[in-house]
This record gives sequence, structure tokens and C-alpha cells, in this order.
Amino acid sequence: MEIIAEGTDKEGAESYAQIFEHILLEMGITTVLDKVYMLVRPSDPLFVISVKMRKASGAKPVNEIAELEDKEGGVMINITDENYAPRLLALLWKTFGRDRVEQLTRYEVYVTGVNRTAFWDMTIDPEEELRAQVLDAIWKLVPEGLKIRHTYSSSDVLTIANTEHGFQPDWLIKTEEIHHNMEGA
Amino acid sequence: MFQVLMFDGGVYKINEFYELVEDIGGFIIQKTQIQVMITITFAIPEEDRPIIEAKTRELGGKLLDVPLAGTEIVVVGPTLGRHHMPHPICDIAENLRRYGAITVVMGLARGKGKETAQINAEERAIIDEYDAAVFVVGNFRDCVEKYKYKLWADIQVPVVAACGPEFESLPNCEAIVCGIGRKVERMRRPEEIQKLEEVADKVQSIIKDKRRDVDLDPLFVHPAEIKDRLDDLEAIQDNLRPAPVVLHVDGVRAKVPYEQFKDKIADLEIYGRKLGDIAVITPSRMEGSVLIKIKTRSQVESEDLARAGKA
Repeated sequence: MEIIAEGTDKEGAESYAQIFEHILLEMGITTVLDKVYMLVRPSDPLFVISVKMRKASGAKPVNEIAELEDKEGGVMINITDENYAPRLLALLWKTFGRDRVEQLTRYEVYVTGVNRTAFWDMTIDPEEELRAQVLDAIWKLVPEGLKIRHTYSSSDVLTIANTEHGFQPDWLIKTEEIHHNMEGA
Repeated sequence: MFQVLMFDGGVYKINEFYELVEDIGGFIIQKTQIQVMITITFAIPEEDRPIIEAKTRELGGKLLDVPLAGTEIVVVGPTLGRHHMPHPICDIAENLRRYGAITVVMGLARGKGKETAQINAEERAIIDEYDAAVFVVGNFRDCVEKYKYKLWADIQVPVVAACGPEFESLPNCEAIVCGIGRKVERMRRPEEIQKLEEVADKVQSIIKDKRRDVDLDPLFVHPAEIKDRLDDLEAIQDNLRPAPVVLHVDGVRAKVPYEQFKDKIADLEIYGRKLGDIAVITPSRMEGSVLIKIKTRSQVESEDLARAGKA
């Protein structure tokens, strides 16, 4: 992971780069990020952090973490890997709606109105969870008093600009520029 | 003059040690027992130190100088949020405790931000109750030198400022320790421990100066003597707070409600005088505590003369 910290306060920016590294290390997500860019201008004050995430590996097909069995009027899912249970349930709710998903026991879920073929392409992607963790790391880093925020987000790049009272137009233009540069990196 | 020391050893025959301290006119300030080991902070007349040293040798313990014993120090951070707590504020507080100080950690209600950081009168009054304050601020030069120093501008007690960037000096503080700033993990590397020691050194030197000032016009009684009398009160004996009576350089904090106990405290007798006559007893800003500031000998004498003149 590459961390670039620039700005009007070189020492301050470098120390924040170090702090971010420690936060990621503590949370165990150092391998999630590909590149981090920080723009630190305490005199404005403007604090921009942009992170480029690596493609999350290890997306699991549903049939690897659960046994699927066609039943009359639906599919019985028997979860074999407990670790994925909450995420699978959330995925089922999202895909089929809460009305059609019934959790019978801790590991048994019945989905009505579908057959096994509906699950062939379904995978559980850890990316969203990792994204939430990266966001949490960013909240831990950004100076507490810089409450005014603006976010730019694309599939693998997240850029957040923070200030104290309000953004100057050129600050947001600069942030957007950083975001696009990171997308191209 | 009284000297505050710490005994570190086992509990075997420890009652003999207590009796000896009492016999030579000293006081036990704090006892912390962990299984068979015990640390005792106590005050004794300076000239009797050899007697205590001999007893400590006999009991197989260690006698430590605790330069900050008998002081209460507040470590202040901009907020209690995870950006500032627990490191490095708690690390600094813990290191000061190793030198015998009682420490309190405090976060300001609106201390975050650059231009928006502020301290209110209530917070200032609370900080002024302590012997010294350590303010821990962040990593940005511009923020510290232009704004954050205002947080301690009107604090009356001596202030040590700890911050990230290197400064030759900062306004309104007695000492400054640079290279600390924000941390997300414990300060355990050698260079970080050295910084903690630096903070402790600066606090020690401030307290030394404060004690020297007090010695120029000595207090009527040593705070440990007041603690000794307060310890006889039932409310103090039954108090569940970890240190019901805390020594300050020029007084004592008793952790009992002011309204309920002010008269009892004022009536305590010390050297034939009422405590109310030789000390100023006020409610503390910390809920349920009483602050006792001991008057100086000259102050008591001049009050005596004034009274005699009236009579």
C-alpha cells in the first residue's frame, strides 16, 4: 500500500499518514487498500483523504457455504458455514424481499417462490463490509473538529473532503481532481 | 518539613512499619495492597528518614522517592473522543502516577476543531483546583500556535503543553513537550517513553517551584496533618471512592459533600485550633468534594493580631 501525504504542513501530513497506517494495522485491513492520498492544509483548514481499494478477493458462491434443496414451493437453505450466516440472510432479504425469506432455525432458511437455479450465480461479496471498515478507519483518522464533509465515491475509490466552516469552491474542484487522479492510478 | 516517600515491599510485619511512621510523627497517605505485596505512600519529618530507611531494610522492602506524591495533576485533552483518548492522554496520566501524583483525566466539551476549539469558565475553574495541568493537543503547527494555546491562556495553575510539532516556546505555559501529538496506540517505544519521562520531568520541576514558593511563606500545617485528622471522620472511613482525601501542595481535597460536612470539617482540631480558622474551606467544582486551602503561618498570625486588636 502506498500512502502519499501532501499539504502546507509537511510534518503534520506525515504524522497523519503514520496514524492512518497504525489505524489500518490495528483494524487488520492493511491489504484492503491499494493507494492512499492525503491533502492536508491546516491553515484553510482542508483535509482530503482519498483511498483506492483493491478488488476484494474471496467472493463465495452461496452453494459453497450452504446446502440447497428444492422443496415444494421453494428452496430450503441449510447454512454450513456459520461465519457467512448474517451476510447470507441480508443478501437473501435484499434479493427476494423479507416476505419470501423465512428463517426457521439458526441455520435453516426457507425461500418461497424460487428454485435452486436462482442461487447459481449468487455470491457473497465481502467488499461492502470492507468498505464499511475502510470508512470507519477514515472516521478515526479525520480531525474531529472538521465536521463539514463532502464525499466522492466510485466503484473502487472513495474521496472525502473535510473542513471546519464551509468549502471554498476551488477546494471541491481540487478534491474532485484528486478523486479522478486516484481512479486513474 | 515533611517528606513524602513510598515503601514498596511485602505485607510481612507491615504493622511495625505503620507504628514506626506514627511514632515519629508521620502519616500514611495511601496504601495499595496486591496480594502479599504492598505500596505505601507516607509523609515523615525529613530528619527521620534514616530511621525509616533502616526499617525498610529490615522488612526487605524498597524506599522510593516520589517527587509528585502529595499532588493532584489534571491531564486535559481537547475532547474525550477516540481521536484524543485514550492515547496519549492516559499514558501521560499513568506515567505521572508512577511518580506519586494523583491524576485526573479531563476532556473539554467543545475543545475540538481549530477556530471552534474553546474552553468555558466552568472547565477553567475545575482545572484551577489542581496543582498543575498538562494540556495535550495535536499535530498541526498552524492549529497549535495560532489557536490551541488559547485553551490554557487563562488557567491560573502552571501548565505543561504537550503537542506534536516542534516549538521553541508557546504562550501562557510554563513548559512545553513537543513530539507527542495524536497517537492511536500505547506509547511504549523507547522514544515515546522518553517523551513521557520528559512530561514527568517538566511537571516535577513545576511542582518543585510551587513547593519552593510555599516554603517562602510556609503553610500553618502540612496537608498530610489535615489528612490525618480527616481520616478520623466516619464519612471518610466509609467512603468508597479510591482516594477519599487527596493531598495538594497547599491543601487537601476531601471527597465528601460540602453542605453536609462543612461544619464537621471546620470544627476539626489541629494544634489546638479549629481547621476553619487555619484553612479556607470551599465546595469543589467536582461534585461531592470539599476543597481545603491551608492558610500560611503569616496569614494566621496577622488574623490573630487583628482579632486581638479588636478585642
